[in-house]
Amino acid sequence: MTGGAADAPGPGSAGAQAAVLARYDELASLLGGMDDRPGADPGLTAEAAPVLLHEARLLDAGRFEDWLAGWTSDAVLWLPLSARAHPGTDQSLLLDDRRRLAERVDWRREPSAWGQNPPSRTTRVVGSIEAWAAADGLVARSSFLIDEYRHGRHQALAGYQIHELVGDDLRRRTKILVVPALGTGVRNPSFLL
Amino acid sequence: MTAIDSGTVPPDFDYLVQPHRVHRRIYTDPQIFDLEMTRVFAASWCYVGHESEIPAPGDYRTTTLGLRPVLMTRGRDGAVNVLLNRCTHRGTVLAGESSGCAKRFVCPYHGWTFAPDGQLVAIPFPADHAVEDRSTLSLGRLTTATYRGFVFATLNAEPEPLDCWLGEAREAFDTIVDRHPGGDIAVMGSPHLLEFLGNWKLSWDNAADGLHATFAHESYNTLGEMVDTETVLARDPGSTPMVSKALRNGHMVVDQRPGIPQGPWATMRRVPFREPLESALVDAGEESLLDLATGSMINLSLFPNLLFVGNQLLVIEPVAVDRTRLQLWLTSAPGAPSEIDLLRLRVDEDFVNFGTPDDLDMFERVQRGLSIPEMEWIDMSRGLPDSDAADGDATIYGPITSEAPQRRYLAHYAKLMTTPAATRAL
Repeated sequence: MTGGAADAPGPGSAGAQAAVLARYDELASLLGGMDDRPGADPGLTAEAAPVLLHEARLLDAGRFEDWLAGWTSDAVLWLPLSARAHPGTDQSLLLDDRRRLAERVDWRREPSAWGQNPPSRTTRVVGSIEAWAAADGLVARSSFLIDEYRHGRHQALAGYQIHELVGDDLRRRTKILVVPALGTGVRNPSFLL
Repeated sequence: MTAIDSGTVPPDFDYLVQPHRVHRRIYTDPQIFDLEMTRVFAASWCYVGHESEIPAPGDYRTTTLGLRPVLMTRGRDGAVNVLLNRCTHRGTVLAGESSGCAKRFVCPYHGWTFAPDGQLVAIPFPADHAVEDRSTLSLGRLTTATYRGFVFATLNAEPEPLDCWLGEAREAFDTIVDRHPGGDIAVMGSPHLLEFLGNWKLSWDNAADGLHATFAHESYNTLGEMVDTETVLARDPGSTPMVSKALRNGHMVVDQRPGIPQGPWATMRRVPFREPLESALVDAGEESLLDLATGSMINLSLFPNLLFVGNQLLVIEPVAVDRTRLQLWLTSAPGAPSEIDLLRLRVDEDFVNFGTPDDLDMFERVQRGLSIPEMEWIDMSRGLPDSDAADGDATIYGPITSEAPQRRYLAHYAKLMTTPAATRAL
């Protein structure tokens, strides 16, 4: 075996692998290109804001099933470890597809999931919202501060999030959370969504 | 009993570490923690990094060894150096970034300049500097040795050769490396960094603990059942043929392979993007390689700071007596088809998200429980009496429910703490 992509999987599966890599590239360029974007579109920004704030409220309230319903079938939630990361070459904290998001919601309801029992109580502050037009919807960037309280202690993490919202109802197709503190060592980060 | 807890009484390790129980003080006493940073972390060989992280001359990476900031560098001659990350002038930490490439390390404070091998190469305005022999002002060096590309270093003045120190652990080490095509294993950059409010030894107590999976990781196993996967942790720990081994020098092995005759890949859940990558390998007739996408099913722990878990290297970094940082590095298989590393990225997120949080929570719960002065002892008696292996290879074997590995590493720990080795920087 010579290694590498030249190891010639069959034509059908090669296409399947290419689709995975294309989605990964899409995620990396959405993240990597964010700082080059021009000023936001005011109308789309106004449209994105209530969607982002609603999501933050659902998560803080622990309404994970309702939150899950707002994703597309080809959804990806990605928490890279840096703003220069690529999902196909760098470790991530998580990269969930729609199936895994559903498992994650089940996990949050599982009494023996000790990392979230007792559950984290979170407060998110979402601000600095900007949005731009994208195929079939919009791309939004916003900053967040999330305070977590658990076992009598709290920790606060700040970062920014990128949403790709699609369709008439602006469902989440992509969400990327960038949390710089992940690069220095945080306590049990399983509350981050 | 308060006297033993006062923190002013010199620790008596014969009392604190007994064959069947351990005193809470070794997890809670800052004085003992301070001693450990030298008697354990400076005197033992410690894992620093992997050669694949610094392929070119000038490449470097930083970490800590027993709180000391250290630098792993590749010199112009291609040799790997492990240096104390401290300017020999006033003590400034030289490299602030976690990794990079530098022709020279220039101290940001007064401009002293060092080569990647630690030699002092320039002092600004040298005419008014009294030092005649610059070689006395090279960066502090650690004795450094590599095994299969893994870089270890020590400040022990008379270290045992690395091969001897690894001893019987080399068998598992070789097995883990040799399953990679061509024996070629590499380490990806950018580790996960996780912290817990607990003593570093809690992660050691856990590393060869075959019993906790049934309880602490119940949710991981439940999620597996929901998708008809019998995760490796779901095996009955009382009847599995899996084996745990307590080796010399505090090293430990849990060999899960005898308990999973169908192979590692069969225990893996439906990680994201699994199917297209898996089918690509199956269609290429490389199905047998899928086991490479998950771990070797050998948990190897090299005391005091390196655990092989899954395809990750888990490096234990003590921060304070009640605070520990875990570095989780992912290994890759450069000689395998690209699907393997693509799968590895998603496979190792599985346990990090649905298993590791349990462990972090248990460590913090234990540390809080150990704060109670009136409850002094931790029971470590499961599986006693220990039976030494008849073949004299210095290995104690047992079922995975035995606490023999914990007893053995703690006995080694007590020896290091009782008879401190001389340590020094070269």
